[in-house]
Amino acid sequence: MSDHGTHGPVTRPGESADETLQHSIEAAHGEHHAHGGLGKYVLVFLALCGLTTMSFFTYSPAWPWRDQPQVGWAFMMAVSCTKAMLVILFFMHVWWEANWKYVLTIPAAMMALFLAIMLIPDVGMRNRMVSQERAMHMARPADLIELEKASSEGPFVEAAAH
Amino acid sequence: MNASAASITNGHDHGHGDHHGHVTLQYQPGLPLTRGKLIMWLFLSTEIMFFAALLGSYVVLRFGAPIWPKPHHVHLSEPIGAFNTFVLICSSVTIVLALESARANKASLAKIWMLLTLVLGGLFLGVKGYEYRAKFSHGIYPAMPHSRIYERPDLYYGSAVRARLDELRREPKDAWAAMKYAWSVAWHGSPQGAALHGVTEPETYDRLKELDEVAESSLTAEQVTARRSLQQIQKMLASPDQQSFDMAVIADQVMPVPAEGADHGGGHGAHGLNDAFPWLKLPTVIPGGNMWASTYFLLTGFHAIHVGVGLLVFAIMCTWTLNAKRAGAIENIGLYWHFVDLVWIFLFPLLYLF
Repeated sequence: MSDHGTHGPVTRPGESADETLQHSIEAAHGEHHAHGGLGKYVLVFLALCGLTTMSFFTYSPAWPWRDQPQVGWAFMMAVSCTKAMLVILFFMHVWWEANWKYVLTIPAAMMALFLAIMLIPDVGMRNRMVSQERAMHMARPADLIELEKASSEGPFVEAAAH
Repeated sequence: MNASAASITNGHDHGHGDHHGHVTLQYQPGLPLTRGKLIMWLFLSTEIMFFAALLGSYVVLRFGAPIWPKPHHVHLSEPIGAFNTFVLICSSVTIVLALESARANKASLAKIWMLLTLVLGGLFLGVKGYEYRAKFSHGIYPAMPHSRIYERPDLYYGSAVRARLDELRREPKDAWAAMKYAWSVAWHGSPQGAALHGVTEPETYDRLKELDEVAESSLTAEQVTARRSLQQIQKMLASPDQQSFDMAVIADQVMPVPAEGADHGGGHGAHGLNDAFPWLKLPTVIPGGNMWASTYFLLTGFHAIHVGVGLLVFAIMCTWTLNAKRAGAIENIGLYWHFVDLVWIFLFPLLYLF
């Protein structure tokens, strides 16, 4: 391969162009087994398990911010983003890839973000102005339901006493 | 990509020796990655947008809704979701190890890891199926006519309960005969047409009356209480001076909604009428439940389809010799599989813990 070094790889007999490219990429980066390794994967795996336990912890009674769900949501999203980063960087080998990774991932991520933001006015705020007919069948907020329950426990208290 | 970036070089002078001035085409990649991997990454970037749209609409629907059911109202089990997360993470590790083994040319070891990935993916789908079944058995479906979810305990809800109770009073004795009769009516266009062909309406019985006649000793304590409240409900629905708040009471008996803050430990609506007698299948009130069901089944359904496609490819790959030549293919399906894992990493907290 060394005599072709300056011109890039040449397809060898019995090999497809893609395989040749694969070999040349690996040779050029000298990364045949430079990254990966069982130890690193086990470490990432343990980190992922630990993070899952952390987000599951928000569900346990020991979670200190039970009355403020927003804290838990923010925490869980932070944990999820960390997990996603670990998977992308190490399992998907993006950590070791060349700069093309930015070309493919950043525009897609930006589009994804815009897509979600664009949904807010139409979908997220759709309950701000609704027709009379629709309002009739809509669910009511939780506090109203609690009020109703409190005001109508008559007959079943009796039934249970018998 | 690499063909378009081919550079034309001539190693020797034109017209020299046996080269006859032919140019030698040499590959010089535009991007330092194989075609397969490039296409997989392009596909994954479209997938990012696909799932971002789904997850984004879930988030805006969820926070724009006047009320959203707590996980226990809709019979979601967080431990099962966490277990599934763990299974998917494990399968991500095994596919990475399959790739490493294939790169080291250890074909049989690679196959073991690949098989393990297949089993773990299958386990994920199995658990998902079990969870779906739990939803279906509580009348939670994405849409009518199976869905028995009502948004609020209003008069529509009351009439749905009354209709279901009437149905139970005319329960066919033989389910198979009832099905045959229904088919025949549909085929011949009318009950008269079915009767002409000798298919008559099957015999029915009053299942509620039968329940009333069962000796108390053969029922559990919970069922005795449930039977009493069922009788109460029938009385309420028949009474001419029923109030609209009676419906809230009925809804609470059919499936009690755990109070705010008290949704831990055994809050799976175990004391509801539908749980005491699963055959009752009474309509339930789950405020916000319809939108919840739509988003839950859409998100997990699309994710499950992706898992299924991955499993299909793994199954095909298990028939191959997974040596270094296949490392590229394993890497590509591995990328896909990690992406599926990635989506679940966001789905789990959003659906189960929010």
